[in-house]
Amino acid sequence: MVDFDPAIINKTFETTEPVEVNADWIQHYCEVVGETNPLYVDEEAAKKGPFGGVIAPPSYAVTFRNGRHFFEHVPRFGRRGFDAGKDVEFVAPIRPGDKITLSSAVKEIYEKTGRSGSMVFVVIRSTLKNQKGEVVAHIDHRFMNRP
Amino acid sequence: MSTILDLHTHSEASEDSRAPVEAYLNWIKLRHAERPLDGIVLTEHRQFNRDADYRHLEDKYGQMVLRASEVETNYGHMLVFGVNEDIVRRFDFANVRLDAQTLINEVARMGGIVVPCHPGRPNIGLYEHYQSKPPLENVVAVEALNGGSRKGEDERSAELIRKFGYAATGGSDSHLVSLIGLCATRFETDIKTIDDLVRELKAGAYQPADFRQRRKPVPQAVEVETR
Repeated sequence: MVDFDPAIINKTFETTEPVEVNADWIQHYCEVVGETNPLYVDEEAAKKGPFGGVIAPPSYAVTFRNGRHFFEHVPRFGRRGFDAGKDVEFVAPIRPGDKITLSSAVKEIYEKTGRSGSMVFVVIRSTLKNQKGEVVAHIDHRFMNRP
Repeated sequence: MSTILDLHTHSEASEDSRAPVEAYLNWIKLRHAERPLDGIVLTEHRQFNRDADYRHLEDKYGQMVLRASEVETNYGHMLVFGVNEDIVRRFDFANVRLDAQTLINEVARMGGIVVPCHPGRPNIGLYEHYQSKPPLENVVAVEALNGGSRKGEDERSAELIRKFGYAATGGSDSHLVSLIGLCATRFETDIKTIDDLVRELKAGAYQPADFRQRRKPVPQAVEVETR
């Protein structure tokens, strides 16, 4: 079995400074990705919608960066590896004026075998919260290492 | 009476699949003419999803949903059917270096059966391990057709089956909804429960079924005179 200190699992190693969301950023993001849903881009239409105003598209959650030292805390097994993808769970809308922080912890470490040999996966979970302490999204970053 | 089951599938309970079980069943309903399944067996990676309850989906879609596991051993990946409390206590399914011979013998003793899957696959298939290690004892069947096979892998599996006289199964190994049921196993009898399935797998009266669509041959180019 892969050798690591189980105490690191679920232990938050980093929390970023809050980043304030503004309507312009949401607008720019929508332009870049081609998003035209009025809930995200039309203040007047959004006011009549279920959220009472503009919100960010769910995928906007992935634009928040981890801290400068994020990768220093990702355990490595072996010399080679790569980013094996991200899973995003959207929990609550992100609105203009929200101040978003990311807290990151090692969620899971597991080993598997495949056509190309052994692999060790490290999953880092970043939890996004707003200024009220409400969770707005979880992002699981999956890193593959070749032992 | 016969039963067609996809014996090798992964739902979102496996870390590398995003396929909800209901989406699989809905896809089978939509494609039943091409893939005439009676049910699927969920074989999640390195775990047994013992608490999952799919009875409401079985009722809704008229398909059977049985549960098994895919584990990793020193002879490659293997499907474990008939997983019970004794088996779960005896083996750590998260261990990617399980001893294959012990697994086969002990699972059989505890009422289940182990079927090596994608045996023709490099590194994690029986064929490659048999080149450097003695053949395993008490293997009843191996997976002859796997929906995720690359060129040559099913052929190596067939060679192994001919050489050792194993019974042959089929499974899609689907991790995506649209791949469900591409390969399956046709049993000669009715199967309604996991106990029925284990009994029939041990008995050997079944055949792999291939529902993969073949690509149409590319038409020959016609020579055209140009000036």
